Amino acid sequence: MNRLILGAAVLSVISMLAVAISGCGAGSSMDKTEELEPVEIRDYEGEKLSSANDFRENSIEGPQQVEIESYRLEIAGLVENPESYTYDEALDSHQHYQKVVTVNCVEGWSATILWEGLLVRELLEESNPLPDAKVVIFHAYDGYTTSLPLDYIMNNDIIMAYKMNEITLPAERGFPFQLVAESKWGYKWIKWITKIELSEDEDYLGYWESRGYSNTADLDKGFFEK
Amino acid sequence: MKNTPTPDLVKRIIHWSLLTVTVIYFITGFGISEFRTVEALSFGLLTKSLAFKMHNSLWVPFIVLLVLHIVFALIRKRRKVVPS
Repeated sequence: MNRLILGAAVLSVISMLAVAISGCGAGSSMDKTEELEPVEIRDYEGEKLSSANDFRENSIEGPQQVEIESYRLEIAGLVENPESYTYDEALDSHQHYQKVVTVNCVEGWSATILWEGLLVRELLEESNPLPDAKVVIFHAYDGYTTSLPLDYIMNNDIIMAYKMNEITLPAERGFPFQLVAESKWGYKWIKWITKIELSEDEDYLGYWESRGYSNTADLDKGFFEK
Repeated sequence: MKNTPTPDLVKRIIHWSLLTVTVIYFITGFGISEFRTVEALSFGLLTKSLAFKMHNSLWVPFIVLLVLHIVFALIRKRRKVVPS
């Protein structure tokens, strides 16, 4: 009887050891940390943020699906050194900046977002704008265009965002790049940017501007005011 | 008291004008929020910027006509309640 109890005890000790060893093995395979898809933040330094879903889809051709493998960001026009960046080159070779800015749409809605992107000024400085350049024309994948004075870009920290609320821009929000044209009406916040062109044409009118919207698009003025 | 033809005509004009303004108000509202569809349906005639301009300038006539419409309706109701 004693032998039986002893045998059972030895068996249970062996099985517990086997479980412990196999558990240790599993533990060692879980040491590696795997990064999951980041989640949108809704609060930044005490400030409530809107969601990426709080936007109304109001682009001229609907959301664009830009193929990142063939994507190029061109800097062209009145510059000494025209440039063409892939998405990774643009991101890897430039300083990244973050700021909270509110977009105000002419339709009446607004959204406050933590944007992360590249300074347009730094991109332009790399290409050395020529003295005749007065206007920066932005072109988008869907054919949309808009323009801003070169002085506005150079004298303000205007970024071209690739992230919003710490997630990569979704396609419907302008992936790969959306302009964060702070203090301007939403139609200056061009999405799906493919080309930045410097021009001397101060009368250039973009898509909505040529349809009657103000070219200055200052938020403190009406969007039909000249 | 009998209704004279002139107030009746005015009433009718106000009611029909209000209906017209309301319909245009709705359409121009859609012309802003659903501009791609409305532009296509109107063969490019009602653009988003035109819809905006019309919508923004219609709220004054809309309010005036609505108030007049209510006032006329109340007068009519009162006449029915208090026979002369």
